[in-house]
Amino acid sequence: MAGNFWRSSHCQQWLLDKQDLMRERNNDLKLICEEDYQKVMIFFANFIQGLGEAMKVRQQVVATATVFFRRFYAKNSLKSIDPLLMCPTALYLAAKVDEFGVLSNSRLIQACQVLVKNKFCYAFNQPTEFSYRINHVWECEFYLLELMDCCLIVFHPYRPLQQYVTDLCSSTDDAQLLQVAWRIINDTYRTDIPLLYPPYMIALSALHMACVINQKEAAKNWFAELAIDMEKIMEISKQIISLYELWKNYDETKEIKAILQSLPKPVVSRPPSQGPNDGIQNNDPHVSQA
Amino acid sequence: MAAERSKRYEKIEFLGEGQFATVYKARDKEFNDRIVAVKKIKIGTRVEAEDGINRTALREIKILQEISHPNVIGLLDVFGRRSNVSLVFDYMHFDLEVIIKDQSVIFLPSHIKNYLMQTLRGLEYLHANWILHRDMKPNNLLINNDGVLKIGDFGLAKVFGSPDRIYTHQVVTRWYRSPELLYGARQYGTGVDIWATACILAELLLRVPFVAGDSDLNQLSKIFEALGTPKEDDWPEMTQLPDYIEFKYQEGTPLKQIFTAAGQDLLDLLESMFKFDPLRRCTAAEALKMDYFSSNPQPTANSSLPKPTQPSNVLKEPNIIKPGMKRKLEPGESDPCKRLLF
Repeated sequence: MAGNFWRSSHCQQWLLDKQDLMRERNNDLKLICEEDYQKVMIFFANFIQGLGEAMKVRQQVVATATVFFRRFYAKNSLKSIDPLLMCPTALYLAAKVDEFGVLSNSRLIQACQVLVKNKFCYAFNQPTEFSYRINHVWECEFYLLELMDCCLIVFHPYRPLQQYVTDLCSSTDDAQLLQVAWRIINDTYRTDIPLLYPPYMIALSALHMACVINQKEAAKNWFAELAIDMEKIMEISKQIISLYELWKNYDETKEIKAILQSLPKPVVSRPPSQGPNDGIQNNDPHVSQA
Repeated sequence: MAAERSKRYEKIEFLGEGQFATVYKARDKEFNDRIVAVKKIKIGTRVEAEDGINRTALREIKILQEISHPNVIGLLDVFGRRSNVSLVFDYMHFDLEVIIKDQSVIFLPSHIKNYLMQTLRGLEYLHANWILHRDMKPNNLLINNDGVLKIGDFGLAKVFGSPDRIYTHQVVTRWYRSPELLYGARQYGTGVDIWATACILAELLLRVPFVAGDSDLNQLSKIFEALGTPKEDDWPEMTQLPDYIEFKYQEGTPLKQIFTAAGQDLLDLLESMFKFDPLRRCTAAEALKMDYFSSNPQPTANSSLPKPTQPSNVLKEPNIIKPGMKRKLEPGESDPCKRLLF
């Protein structure tokens, strides 16, 4: 939200390219396939969304939290910190950064417990317990801040989208167009797109798709007159479409549990007498000593 | 990892302590032993510790990470864990308050012009980047031995831009607080920083705080005593503000009788910056374009600016030096007067 996107840390440090992304991810991909990795990211984005709804934060906070979450795993293996702990942590930090205020510690933990037990119960072995405490969130918060190099201000496509829609539609059908494009933007947070492309391009791509869906002929000229790289816009659209393709044949409630269990697990250092580390279901904090 | 980072900075001496933080002078062992200021955020009360990373520190990190300007303090590093965060800044040798209070320092008009120009340049940059500082005061204008002035302490700073966003009016240390804030305005803009800068300019000329009220009402009454009570014409929206009350009409003293040594160009600048209506108050960019900055005398070169003459052991005492350590106000703090005590 700060003034100048072009000079922001988002633009200068956090627009990654595919190679950057794959460098870290390749380690995790030895254990799970690329598609399953995407499914894991979708699952936890949904978890953050659910958590945001439970805590009644603004959508912008959810969006920022999701980007924080993805930035962390863009630079770290899934085994470095349990993503289930990273979800509340990212939301906790984002609420402060976006000046929403500090989330209630007890309500945050309680919301996680409720989500794990009810809405997302299909993903966990039953009986499930969300075993993290606020101390773990506090611990994790600093790792998140540090591994993002203290870059906290995240730009989102929503604001540019509103400007483009106002410019494109002089009057009539703009409300519906805005709504469709807005939803597409929400979906982009379930992909690598926010890590790879500047928000204004994501906005244009979502708007372009919305125009195609709504068969808005007049938009052709408008897009033709833009001084932008249409190929890039299409590249983004392609990735959004492949997300929708993936969703078409995918039932999260049936598949995600097995995928989560195959995830690389955090290595918790502790005395050997306490037995082997068995990952997600044990009661210890999964913050590895990075 | 955090532990290694804290070893990088070797403590040299204690510089000051305030409501939120302790500041040390330190040597950066991984950067040619450069001298830095390490601001260790206090864990504070149990309630604050339960917020995770301190919000004030987080604001400072968030904003300073995005900006870079010669007249704005640079954040060099962050280390620590949980609520125990330390921020590493450019080391600044003293602040404007120290210089103002040092009776043996004599300000030439060209010195004042330099201080004001550096301050306004920093402020112009911040405002162009949609950042309100919200705590401008002499003690937050840091100066190094090369005479470079940097705006410091972003603990209250805020990104602005949504016109409908409601902000707290309990910002800016009272003596530098603008009339709209004193009247409880929840929507305000860059004018609050300009008013505070005008108070700083007045303080540079008078060598004492220009309007030093001991309560919000007293502050307003002293402002009106000095500048005259605004009329409806001067500030149409005034009566709509939440805490508006009518004051007995006072004529005020013409600026040139308060600032007897100031030339007309400086009086014009003061008048534009002291406009009651925040919408008519000049911006930092406009102020920099006024005659004062192009007319003689030219501002002094940074290297010729005065330095404090107090013996250094006095400077080492807590509460004399360092960023934002006193006259400090907490966001949302309803009765800031207790924090004004020295």
